[in-house]
Amino acid sequence: MLLLSQLINGLQLGSIYALVALGYSMVYGIIMLLNFAHGDIIMAGGYIAVLILTAGRNPVLAIILAIIGCVLLSVLIEKVAYKPLRSAPRISLLITAIGVSLFLQNMAQLLFTANARSFPNTVVIPAINFRIGSINISLTALVTIVVTIISMICLTLLVQKTKMGKAMRAVSEDTDAAKLMGINVNSTITFTFATGSTLAGIGSILYCCRYPLVSPTMGSLLGLKAFVAAVLGGIGSIPGAMIGGLAIGFAEVLVSAVGLSEWTDAVVFAILIIVLLVKPTGFLGRSMQEKV
Amino acid sequence: MLKINDINVYYGPIHAIKGVSFEVHPGEIVALIGANGAGKSTILKTISGLLRPKTGSITFMDTDITKMEAHKIVQQGLAHCPEGRRIFLRMTVMENLEMGAYTQKGVDEDIIESVFARFPRLKERRRQVAGTLSGGEQQMLAMGRALMSRPKMIMLDEPSMGLAPLLVEEIFDIIKTLNESGTTVLLVEQNAGMALEIAHRAYVLETGRITLSGTGKELATSDEIKKAYLGG
Ligand SMILES: Nc1ncnc2c1ncn2[C@@H]1O[C@H](COP(=O)(O)OP(=O)(O)OP(=O)(O)O)[C@@H](O)[C@H]1O
Ligand SMILES: [Mg+2]
Repeated sequence: MLLLSQLINGLQLGSIYALVALGYSMVYGIIMLLNFAHGDIIMAGGYIAVLILTAGRNPVLAIILAIIGCVLLSVLIEKVAYKPLRSAPRISLLITAIGVSLFLQNMAQLLFTANARSFPNTVVIPAINFRIGSINISLTALVTIVVTIISMICLTLLVQKTKMGKAMRAVSEDTDAAKLMGINVNSTITFTFATGSTLAGIGSILYCCRYPLVSPTMGSLLGLKAFVAAVLGGIGSIPGAMIGGLAIGFAEVLVSAVGLSEWTDAVVFAILIIVLLVKPTGFLGRSMQEKV
Repeated sequence: MLKINDINVYYGPIHAIKGVSFEVHPGEIVALIGANGAGKSTILKTISGLLRPKTGSITFMDTDITKMEAHKIVQQGLAHCPEGRRIFLRMTVMENLEMGAYTQKGVDEDIIESVFARFPRLKERRRQVAGTLSGGEQQMLAMGRALMSRPKMIMLDEPSMGLAPLLVEEIFDIIKTLNESGTTVLLVEQNAGMALEIAHRAYVLETGRITLSGTGKELATSDEIKKAYLGG
């Protein structure tokens, strides 16, 4: 029974990693950029929510504005920082992303100080526990898992069935060919950033409900772990990001369960190193060389 | 219909196209032939907006498209079927065709049926992932996809590349009937013999310059062409 509650624990954590990993993977798929500022978008979402909640406002409003804030910020970053580098070498883009990440963290520190603020998580999701037999499930875990499943279904429908989703796949497979189809590549890229950061916004709220502290650097470790999840699943692959996220969540929970909780971060990065050494394309990634 | 006026195109410091001018009239098949690296693909990419000329201008149906973005040029009715086919290998045949109709309001059944009528094999394989098609089928998909935007003019970059002789015949027949049904064609080919056979007019490109032009027949019988491109 302990196993079952650990399983749910891992599913909750893994869901959050998956939501964040999707943003990394989709953006990488479309412009070959490891968007290291993605984790800091989560931090921004956390601050927006915490400010609205501590002002005593409606949690629904806080959630909606946090998501909108994440979307606007990431679209703005794309326009200002990444778009001018569209034809620059990928390494310039990567360095820019790291710069944006540092900028956002320092900006947050300037605005909100380096001290962590506590996130009123019970206002968002009441602290209710369900007992099924001998296992204990928190409402937070349940909501996290259900919201993630719904988000994944919506994302899959979006990417597989809608015109915009198909355009995203076309651009990520062959940008020039997509242009020749009449696809507006720039707006498709913007849309991809918006989609990824919507998921980040949702992930941000769910993360804060589990770890109720908001700080300027909260996004960096979460972002890095989600990045590892994306690599593990196969960067660029949407189902890969989902699987990778869950795998990392389970790995962390498993490591803590055997009493090595201070080792979880090390294990996650060990996974990264092993994946890069053994199978750099991850579970579902395609090999870098496309057949001609 | 299409007018290229003294364009110069560079890849960084490399001067790939050096003052090229030519014209395509409505209803024509115009062939652009030349050896490897002559600059044929570069010209097509410049026309369709993937590359920008440093100087010169391009007009399509009285609209200046020199600085127009690629995705807007398609909307003008000018389709480009690129070298190497460039179909979306991870998408299905049907999805590839839908992408071809991206500029249209919806994907209308008539245009799909007309493409399937031209390429019956695509209909059989419409649910298949494009990466699993044979080379000939991929070429047909690339052409079918370009036709989905109902172009007034289509540019084909080496449609016969890598295909067995029988399939090459088939592709050239399709180009001919396509033209007869009213689509203007700009055809880039290394297979100069076949191209000159179906072309009304042709231009010969050598290292970024047009060195010869004339009707398909004239060029096919010219000694220079025979020596350089027709193996004798
Ligand atoms: N991306 C590029 N960067 C630099 N030089 C390029 C690039 N693409 C083409 N070139 C050069 O420009 C010239 C023209 O190339 P282009 O591809 O237009 O030739 P082509 O006539 O289409 O040849 P092929 O018959 O082999 O397709 C060549 O010398 C080529 O090396
Ligand atoms: Mg070429």
